[in-house]
Amino acid sequence: MPPAASHANALPYTDTKPVGHADFYFAVNATFRFILRHHGEEALRKYWRDIGSSYYKPVSERWMQRGMAGVAEYWRAFFAAEPGATVEVTESAEEVRLEVKTCPVIRHLREHGREIVPQFCQHCYFVSEAIAEPAGMTVRVCGGNGSCTQRFMKRTANVPTQNLEDIATAS
Amino acid sequence: MIGCYDFCGHYEWTFEWLRQLGGHELVRAYWDEAIHQDSQLHASELIAGKGIKGMKEYWGPTLADEGAVYERTVTDDVFRIDMHECPSKGFLISNGLEQYRDYCDHCMGWIGPLMKKAGFVIDHEHNHCGQCWWEMRRKADASPASAPGALSGKSDVRLRSDWKADLVGSIDHYERATDPDDKTAVS
Repeated sequence: MPPAASHANALPYTDTKPVGHADFYFAVNATFRFILRHHGEEALRKYWRDIGSSYYKPVSERWMQRGMAGVAEYWRAFFAAEPGATVEVTESAEEVRLEVKTCPVIRHLREHGREIVPQFCQHCYFVSEAIAEPAGMTVRVCGGNGSCTQRFMKRTANVPTQNLEDIATAS
Repeated sequence: MIGCYDFCGHYEWTFEWLRQLGGHELVRAYWDEAIHQDSQLHASELIAGKGIKGMKEYWGPTLADEGAVYERTVTDDVFRIDMHECPSKGFLISNGLEQYRDYCDHCMGWIGPLMKKAGFVIDHEHNHCGQCWWEMRRKADASPASAPGALSGKSDVRLRSDWKADLVGSIDHYERATDPDDKTAVS
């Protein structure tokens, strides 16, 4: 059985390696900085929304089919493939909660002395919200800059809107 | 979160997103500024400081970590890579991902400006199927690219039976280049 087989059912794209190469986090951070420098913050938010609704569309479809169980399966498989992540995933019928104890990206960027884009942690909200919305779900992110809580819930009127000030500035 | 496990997938997707936003020039600027000068700053400093020795230090661990099947051939005058299974292009092919017109251009897009700054030129070909070869020489060295098999022997990717087989388009060819647009097609 190839190493990637354990991810095959929950992740939309699979590799022959079980875990990704952490230096690619440099490029993710650099991509955000490039868009911010050339086109500003609104363009960066559009990039995050577009990647969520386009590149990650298969994730939305899976969440639509599988509900909260699909959300939990996705994030368990996702963080198993990210080097250095320490994340607890808990699920109920109403909500999936990620307790990110160690964010693998922030950790790796810091270890290598990379300047982190201040808005970096906001991408988790904007990307995940674009994935969640077509599945009838929404996400709220609290914390950041190395550890955070992410709650995936059914999209109802009584969920308060995301306050971006609840997401820490990365450094 | 945007992760590193499927990095090549969203990286390739990003090229097309940038092209639609700002055209080809924005994609070129992205490869140079974001990848060469920012993400791969460690490679740039290593190669600018140590030349061919720096290339050995950079491409040894990096390609191994990425899961590449490749051969390196190094002399005092040339650094050659024969890429038999590009992990990056391989990921895209196996997952059926193709948004941008030529993903393979990104390598020359960031390595080209890096080599120019370090005083090197590049001979290179890629076949869009996960195989390519590279020869880096100092700019003052007027030697042409090696003939197939002459430098890397049986490891030369050009000797593969599938190097040119069943290609819909053509092989992209660069001579003493440092710019992603300095290519010609070889049928």
